[in-house]
Amino acid sequence: MSFRMHAALVIAKRRIFESYLSPGYYIAQAVGLLLSYFLISGFVSSIDSSGFNYMLNPLYELIGRSLSGTFGLTFLKKLFASGPFQFVFYVSIIPVFLYLSLSTVFHFCLEKKVGAIELLTYGPVDGTSYFLAFFIKDMVLTILYLLLLILFLSAAALLNNLVLGLAFFYVLVVVFFMMMLLYTISIMISVLTDSSASAIALYIAVIFLFLIVLMGSFTIISTYITSFSSVLSWVINWVSPFFYGGLAISFIEAGYIVNYLLILLVMTVLSCLFLLLSHLVIKVKGVHS
Amino acid sequence: MIRTRGLVKKYGSFTAVDNLDLNISAGEIYGFLGPNGAGKTSTMLMLLGIVKPTAGEIFLFNEKYTPDKLDMRNKIGVVPEKHPYGVWTWMTAFEYMQLFADLFDLKRIHGNCNDRIEYLLLQVDLYGVRNKRIAEFSRGMLQKLSIIRALLHDPDILFLDEPISGLDPIGIKQIRNLILAENREGRTIFISSHLLSEMEKLCHRIAIIYKGKLLAEDSMNSLLAKLVKDREILIDLETLPHNIGNTIKELPFILDTTTNGNTLAIKVSKERDFRKDISGYLINKGLIPLRIEETALSLEEAFVTITNENIDLFTEIGGRE
Amino acid sequence: MKMLFIFFLFFIFIGLSSANVPVRQEQFIYSVMAFNGKDYSGTFCSENSDTIYLIADQDNFITARKTLVYYWPITGDWKTDYDALNYPFDGTLKLTVKGGESRIISSERYTYYNVQGEYEQNWEVTTGDEAEKTWQHYLSLINEYWLITEQYQKAKISFDLMMNKLAEEITKKRNSGLDVTELIEKLKVLRLPEPPQPPNDYIVPPSPVQSAFILNLPRGEYNIHFINKDDTVMEDSKKRVIVFKKRRTDGIGFEVIPGDKWTRPVESKTPSSVLYVDGTTNLYLRPFFQDEFNDLYYKKMLKNDAKGNPNLMNWVHIQQVPGGRIELTGNNYDNEEILEKPFYVEQAKGSGMGYKIVPFDSEGTHKDRGPNLIAFKVLMNNERSVIKLNLLDRNGLNLAGSSRQIRVVVKTRCQSVLLLLCLLPLLVMAVIRIIRSRKYTV
Repeated sequence: MSFRMHAALVIAKRRIFESYLSPGYYIAQAVGLLLSYFLISGFVSSIDSSGFNYMLNPLYELIGRSLSGTFGLTFLKKLFASGPFQFVFYVSIIPVFLYLSLSTVFHFCLEKKVGAIELLTYGPVDGTSYFLAFFIKDMVLTILYLLLLILFLSAAALLNNLVLGLAFFYVLVVVFFMMMLLYTISIMISVLTDSSASAIALYIAVIFLFLIVLMGSFTIISTYITSFSSVLSWVINWVSPFFYGGLAISFIEAGYIVNYLLILLVMTVLSCLFLLLSHLVIKVKGVHS
Repeated sequence: MIRTRGLVKKYGSFTAVDNLDLNISAGEIYGFLGPNGAGKTSTMLMLLGIVKPTAGEIFLFNEKYTPDKLDMRNKIGVVPEKHPYGVWTWMTAFEYMQLFADLFDLKRIHGNCNDRIEYLLLQVDLYGVRNKRIAEFSRGMLQKLSIIRALLHDPDILFLDEPISGLDPIGIKQIRNLILAENREGRTIFISSHLLSEMEKLCHRIAIIYKGKLLAEDSMNSLLAKLVKDREILIDLETLPHNIGNTIKELPFILDTTTNGNTLAIKVSKERDFRKDISGYLINKGLIPLRIEETALSLEEAFVTITNENIDLFTEIGGRE
Repeated sequence: MKMLFIFFLFFIFIGLSSANVPVRQEQFIYSVMAFNGKDYSGTFCSENSDTIYLIADQDNFITARKTLVYYWPITGDWKTDYDALNYPFDGTLKLTVKGGESRIISSERYTYYNVQGEYEQNWEVTTGDEAEKTWQHYLSLINEYWLITEQYQKAKISFDLMMNKLAEEITKKRNSGLDVTELIEKLKVLRLPEPPQPPNDYIVPPSPVQSAFILNLPRGEYNIHFINKDDTVMEDSKKRVIVFKKRRTDGIGFEVIPGDKWTRPVESKTPSSVLYVDGTTNLYLRPFFQDEFNDLYYKKMLKNDAKGNPNLMNWVHIQQVPGGRIELTGNNYDNEEILEKPFYVEQAKGSGMGYKIVPFDSEGTHKDRGPNLIAFKVLMNNERSVIKLNLLDRNGLNLAGSSRQIRVVVKTRCQSVLLLLCLLPLLVMAVIRIIRSRKYTV
């Protein structure tokens, strides 16, 4: 194994251990699971003799009206066609994802500023192995949370006679790759900026931009947004995890497995590109605080 | 062991290090001195591969050194001026050492490295707090921890940046003894410090850098000898006869005399040690010297001299420009 | 002062009521009769809209006209007032492929109809003289039918008269004790005239011959302009035309009719989806073929000012699946095959509200009536918590995309267990922190 990978794994192990000692990761998980719980129990109480009727539950009425108003009734029907788990998954992944990615952005910049990375680079470590450690940490903790979430959702499905379904697992894989891409973007931003506050602000702005472009191409009010931002959205979609995620989901819906796998490959390649760019930037900028 | 050739570092139009040639032999304690902004930190960062030189070459272990040579860093230990604040606060001292042991893969090389960690902790009186979080450590404790961290992987070269700042006298003594002990093991030690009194006690050779340029690089004694123009001898007498100061001037090597109580201060030229001649003269005069002492130029005085005032004087005596 | 106040109120009233009258604007529009996958539906493209949407490789009919357009707030859409103004323009249409060549399209006389056979696939369009012939042929069929009907009615009247006369004579002679055998023989020989069948050449009869621009285009993006007879371009006539195709075809959807809400069916369109129900009533399923189109394009093709999602595909109900069988499998019971059957909705007798769906009895209770519902009945009971179904065609082959699951949701069991599970990470956190803090004190 190369020195760089060895160092990355050693530091990643400590970072994972650090996450296990701090309350943030657990709180994020608990919030995610609680959101799942409320959404599942709300779904169950929205079932009548003909099927899912979102008007029967106040929470789902709010969700249903908002989603159908923004994305159309077709979107709402498709989202809940096989049950609640696709929607539940999208919502419950958010707390952990935000916690992990924002803490990466914050800690990387802080540790760069106070000279922690520099200290390590006196040894067989470089800036690249340091940010790789963050990436490994984020991926491992994400996988652990996903396993916990699957366990929880399976228990909920069993108790309520619901079914996760094959589509759920396809979506889970897509979202995992999307998160991987977003983590590499967070690392890229951390490497580019010098202060934690600017890095966090920039990262949130980038996610927001991706979301706006997604909504602009996806909502039923899209005419207004896309006419304003058609060129910008075309450019941004090339690197937007949400764009690729939506594309992958539409491919799997149509049964195009090869295209689906290709999209996953594209996201992997993009992630590697961002890591490579980060490596080049940190090589030029250095780690001296 | 460490060699630089024509080392230059520029930050825009500002030249921090200007054509630096250093030569540090294996097994010596090398002191690197200079006032603030002289270029010490930039030099150290280049030697450590943290910062890329604008020009010049660096050789470590007779091999050209570049920052991507991560394997060379196994042979280097570094103690920075300050421990990074607010990082790894959850770690105990023992875990902190284990992190670096893992980074250097000591387990694979040496087997169980816990013994070495415990040994080093004992050396600096930190064994009793090995399970205490480093967030609760004082500055001095952190500094000691930093030093033993740098020694953990048994490096051939040790770079120390202000190693004893923030330490109490006992701590200073501990670190001094540790440095000397490590040097006796054959380790080359590069120290950058402002505590000149300690540098005098520790270093075999000194380099003085000023405005990016190397002003002096020599052994301690040679450097001081070059800078000293004359010697001063202090003599304590039981009673000081009147006019003894003028009388003694008949000796040809006496340059000047002053008296202070029962102490006679005599300035002589620096050619040789004249204490025997002087004591012989005084005994002939029936005066018994209670104490004869030669005062030497201190490193502090030499440092101030070189860097603040007598640049010309220095170049006269053969210093580099 | 009083008079002033009354006048003030009057003007307020006028103002308010005036505000409710939709403002009608005279506009140039394209009236579109587009094929929507199953039949033809009409919409229009006003000056406020810049795009017309059409399905590829189908005949679509466009006319240019001047009419009054207004916004109707109650339904939230734009409408035309053809009764007030409907002026068709005479000219040509210039069609340009995006970034490519253009051609001129002239208006043609046409008619469209659907002949007997597999439903939507038998739409036909004839143009020019052929259209006229088709229309005339249809008219002649109708006229023939009316003639036959007239003859039938006359024959029926004669039959009724003859029946009444014979019945009277039989009664008279019986009462007189005379032999009526001959008369009865005559009665038996009498045959009720057969009512005429309307012409069944068409599922949808030909429309009256009209003139329009017929656009049958491959998938792509185009531009159109209307060119007046004097070769000038009509103002506000430039429109984009998006021609789209279905992504997938011959999908299977199910109309799900719950026994307690038979007038409010829901549709299960997503292949392999799961239908969650509360299991309180039986379900009646009606399978249909469906095609998949872009949500936005399809909705705007049906109604030009509709809203849709441009990045979603939507299944569109095309026609019922004829002659199929449903195969049911699941827990706690043997595999079952069910057939499509007719059902009748019986209202509850007396003052009680409600109804009951029963099998249709054409010979008995429901004679001379038609069934309310023809569907596949899926029995729901406590033992059937999971039902898997597949649709087989009339040859017994499994129709792709027809598999579904019906699951009876359990609403009350062990929710607190799940809630406790949510808090498990916090428990783990507490344990780890306790263990860790012990290490610090050692």
